[in-house]
Amino acid sequence: MAEVYVEEFMSPGCVGCPAVKEMLKSLSEELSGEITVEEVDITVDTSRAAQYGVMSVPAIAINGDLKFMGVPKKEELKKALQEELGKDE
Amino acid sequence: MSQDKKEKRIGIFICHCGKNIAGGVDIKALLEISKKLEEVVFVTDNKFSCSEEGQIAIQDAIKDNDLNRIIVVACDPSLHLLTFQHCGKKMGIDPAFVDLIDIRKWTMFGSPNKVDEKQALINSQKLIEQAAKRMRLKRIVPKVSVEVNQSVLVIGGGVAGLEASLDLADKGYKVHLIERLPTIGGKMALLYKVFPTNDCAPCILAPKTAYANIHPNINLLTNSEVANVEGHIGNFSVVVNQKPRYVDEKKCTGCGLCIEKCPTKVIDDEYSRGIGERKAIYIPYNQAIPRKAVIDSQNCLYFQKDACRLCEKVCPAQAIDFKQEPKAIELKVGAIIVATGFDEYNPDQKVEYGYRRYGNVITQFQLARLLDIDGPTKGRLLRPTDKKEPRSIAMIQCVGSRDENANGYCSSVCCMYALKHAQIIKEMVLPDAQVYISYIDMRTAGKGFEEYYRRTREIGINFIHGRPSEVIENNETKNLILKVEDSDIGELIKLEADLVVLSCATVPSQGTKQLAGLLGINLDANGFFKEIHPKLRPVETNIRGIYICGSAQGPKDIPDSIIQAKAAASCADSELRKGEIQLPESITKANKTN
Repeated sequence: MAEVYVEEFMSPGCVGCPAVKEMLKSLSEELSGEITVEEVDITVDTSRAAQYGVMSVPAIAINGDLKFMGVPKKEELKKALQEELGKDE
Repeated sequence: MSQDKKEKRIGIFICHCGKNIAGGVDIKALLEISKKLEEVVFVTDNKFSCSEEGQIAIQDAIKDNDLNRIIVVACDPSLHLLTFQHCGKKMGIDPAFVDLIDIRKWTMFGSPNKVDEKQALINSQKLIEQAAKRMRLKRIVPKVSVEVNQSVLVIGGGVAGLEASLDLADKGYKVHLIERLPTIGGKMALLYKVFPTNDCAPCILAPKTAYANIHPNINLLTNSEVANVEGHIGNFSVVVNQKPRYVDEKKCTGCGLCIEKCPTKVIDDEYSRGIGERKAIYIPYNQAIPRKAVIDSQNCLYFQKDACRLCEKVCPAQAIDFKQEPKAIELKVGAIIVATGFDEYNPDQKVEYGYRRYGNVITQFQLARLLDIDGPTKGRLLRPTDKKEPRSIAMIQCVGSRDENANGYCSSVCCMYALKHAQIIKEMVLPDAQVYISYIDMRTAGKGFEEYYRRTREIGINFIHGRPSEVIENNETKNLILKVEDSDIGELIKLEADLVVLSCATVPSQGTKQLAGLLGINLDANGFFKEIHPKLRPVETNIRGIYICGSAQGPKDIPDSIIQAKAAASCADSELRKGEIQLPESITKANKTN
């Protein structure tokens, strides 16, 4: 099965982060393929954010590639996940 | 990209770190767990992975097992990720396929996150599983070559910001030095004298401020604040908002005629914390750089009532310009240094000491202004209520510091500045006055500091080992009564003082939180800017290309601020001098949606 690993950079008190979390949850259910989402709290894991050069939260890296900074449109996020899953639904 | 497509052969190396990891988690269990993970073909443990021997063992394992991705299970990546990336690179593994994950935080004695062995195993297992999966699915992000802009933005014109600016400007970089206030020099310019040499603060600072003002590589922007930051190392785009001065800097000669004629007197909060007065048009202090007048539009009669304009009439250089508008200045810089300094803790919150309720309770910063021969009283120490010289002065240490109800940390400079002011009062201003310092511990760790403390004791300053529970005012005399238990002699002391001086904590300067948000850099638990590693990388932040120095990073004295400023300048120089750097495409091209 096609797989994708999503790192969701967030911090407590971040305004846009819950929306991204919700979006990722619903897309994980919607898309076929295994989507693993790891929440990375940048206030705890500062070095991971530094490795990616994340300047603001929310930010999303898919399979090691930083794709979004800020809250993406659901369609954009869906497209990016589909590309990684190698599918066109 | 070729490494992406190859069969994935992951190696996991679990480090004992002596007993730091092995003493807190079951390494054998972790090895068994790791072996079962998908596409993991090799698992081993090392006593010290970071040692030369450990790295050779990793390289041998890569060669013998044809590994193309490795995970080292050990300590914080900010410490050793580069070590292992170099180690992998020697064997042809792209740095993207080398990961270091930190389980030591759960296992090492003394770590704030230490957990019991069972929990450490659960946490470590989860982290290893995550890392292995991440590594399995990860692909190489193409790198792009980025030209590094040969200029730097320094935020804050205090002693740290000045030092960093001058260092970089002398190395040949273009420096944009921005300062929120109308003059550079920061808090140091207002300290009168500095410990442990009792040098005149403005005298030793002036060469730096003056040089920064005329340096051909420094673009000095006062009255300015950062409004927006975008981009990445080598290529930051910054928008700076400059408030109008209402005085043409090029024309103003700093003669002061406008100030003399201005009819509006204002309490000066910024430069004397309410102790002195200034006019609505003013030059902050005599040695101000740039020595140019500035109009405070909140108090100017013209702006408030459309009247007066006396300054405009008397200015011989015709420098007054009421039509100046705020400016948004766009800057392109390769690196950013944050040196926004500190503020004095507002002791209003410590109601027991009566600040503002009792007229004769002041702060050490206010005392410094009163002692300054160029200050509001021209160096005469007069207590606020009756403008008489105090015969007894009591200083209370640790106001808002080392206090769980305010700030838990030690502000590190308060002991020394209290000693300094005690010396100045006793030796230069009021030799007959009694000075008392009420303290929890005297902390005088620094070159020449202990000797300074001893000397203060020898000249007859009285030390009381205890913190007063409250200050009470005598309604008639306006004197202040302190009750404090001196733990050295085991007695309750009742002390009546003409003047009480609070040695307040240093806290992050106003706007620190907002600036952290704009820059995307983290703050520590106390609200100061957070370094990437407290011991080994104290001036770098979570964003490559943004550095911190001085009191913006935490309370510190002038020599330490200078050291950090030079370190930050050196870090910026290391990146800028490359001229061109390779960055993952993701950093430069990520979709920014807000």
